[in-house]
Amino acid sequence: MFQTVLNALNQGFLLTLALFLVTLAGALPLGLLVSFGSMSRFRPLRYVMRTIVWIFRGSPLLLQLFIIFYVPGELDHNIWAFSSGRFWAAATAFILNYACYFSEIYRGGIESIPRGQDEAGLVLGMTKQQIFFKVKFMQLVRRIVPPISNEIITLVKDTSLANSIALAEVIWAGKKFMKSDGLVWPLFFTILYYLAFTGLLTLFFGWLEKKLSYYSV
Amino acid sequence: MKKFVALLLAVVMVAGMTACGAKKAASASDSDMAYVKEKGKLVVGITDFAPMDYQENGQWVGFDADMAKAFAESLGVECQFVEINWDTKAMELDSKNIDCVWNGMTLTNEVTSSMACSNAYCNNAQVIVVPADVAGQYADAESCKDLTFAVEAGSAGEAAVAELGYNYISVADQASALMEVSSGTSDAAVIDLLMAGAMIGEGTSYANLTHTAELTAEEYGVGFRKGSDLAAALNEFFAAAYADGSMAACAKTYGVQDALIAQ
Repeated sequence: MFQTVLNALNQGFLLTLALFLVTLAGALPLGLLVSFGSMSRFRPLRYVMRTIVWIFRGSPLLLQLFIIFYVPGELDHNIWAFSSGRFWAAATAFILNYACYFSEIYRGGIESIPRGQDEAGLVLGMTKQQIFFKVKFMQLVRRIVPPISNEIITLVKDTSLANSIALAEVIWAGKKFMKSDGLVWPLFFTILYYLAFTGLLTLFFGWLEKKLSYYSV
Repeated sequence: MKKFVALLLAVVMVAGMTACGAKKAASASDSDMAYVKEKGKLVVGITDFAPMDYQENGQWVGFDADMAKAFAESLGVECQFVEINWDTKAMELDSKNIDCVWNGMTLTNEVTSSMACSNAYCNNAQVIVVPADVAGQYADAESCKDLTFAVEAGSAGEAAVAELGYNYISVADQASALMEVSSGTSDAAVIDLLMAGAMIGEGTSYANLTHTAELTAEEYGVGFRKGSDLAAALNEFFAAAYADGSMAACAKTYGVQDALIAQ
């Protein structure tokens, strides 16, 4: 029995992991675009992006999942009617939501870099792109690692929300045993998966921060 | 750089909007049966619910699952089972993620008003579940009036305790209701009789629980999208399967023959 449960949970966790990785792969770059948009000097774009950020940060992720998965179909345009539709609906909701959170972290990072660096760069005849990528980018990365790692660890746990649209991630896999075999422990057992994974991530970010801290000797 | 990105974002957004607008609207005039036949498969929304729909060696079996397969075959389409979240079954139907809910679904007013339902095919009851050591004191519904109940949100059991005016909390599913009783966070639960048979007692995590009084009798039916012509087709299928004895034989395989309703 233990082996059966473990196999089912492993399978569920693979889906959790896939959702996590796809979300990061989508949200980290998209967040940067959104942050540029919300800092744009072109006013309409800035307002639109800030409104979008407000909508995604200001409403429950659970509700966003429901809306993204069910509303297209309710309007007779079910875009999720393919076999892994639930996964991609969940991934879309997570990517949009997390891109908005990441964008604000990026914006904070970018705006925290002293204006003098831009001026110095311009005086030296650098273009804006050169200033951003050659001067500011690595400083930005270093500053945003702690807040981003915080969000990423939250993401690990938030993936469990996807079981509300019947995505068979690890918690769903655990709960199944309550219904089919009357076993409760598999659900509680899933905590080990989360703790192991967030533990690894914590170690990784600790290492990354050290690697990036050029002030220490 | 920023201007370039701004432009890019604007383009992406406009493209996104046009893509949405350009998508062809599905013709609403077609019948649901034609839609399913054209698609070539009947997508059946289920939860893991022995003995109606459950997995054995990776295959969905059970009284409902087997009948659903036979019905799909009679339509000449493939039968595909999809696990859904029970709370959102109506949304799953309306958004066409599934074509029917065939999972020991009690025909309540909410269900019949939000779906096109087949005739009732199976009897069931809602039963009170309490710890076995106190079962003697709570043999009937009246003696349970001071207990706090855990019930599945939106279930027939919830309706039953609400009508009695008893104290209750709604949890996500019947399994969670059992966990409430087992861990002592609620005194009693109300779940389906058929499910109670499979989930509590010897050999389960709930060996310490037992079921006592029956609250309400109820009937199971299959739900389709509102206005679907598949409900009528299923009624015909049920009548034929009942007449030739195949429905009773299938019920016997899963031990629900006593609950079967004549078609």
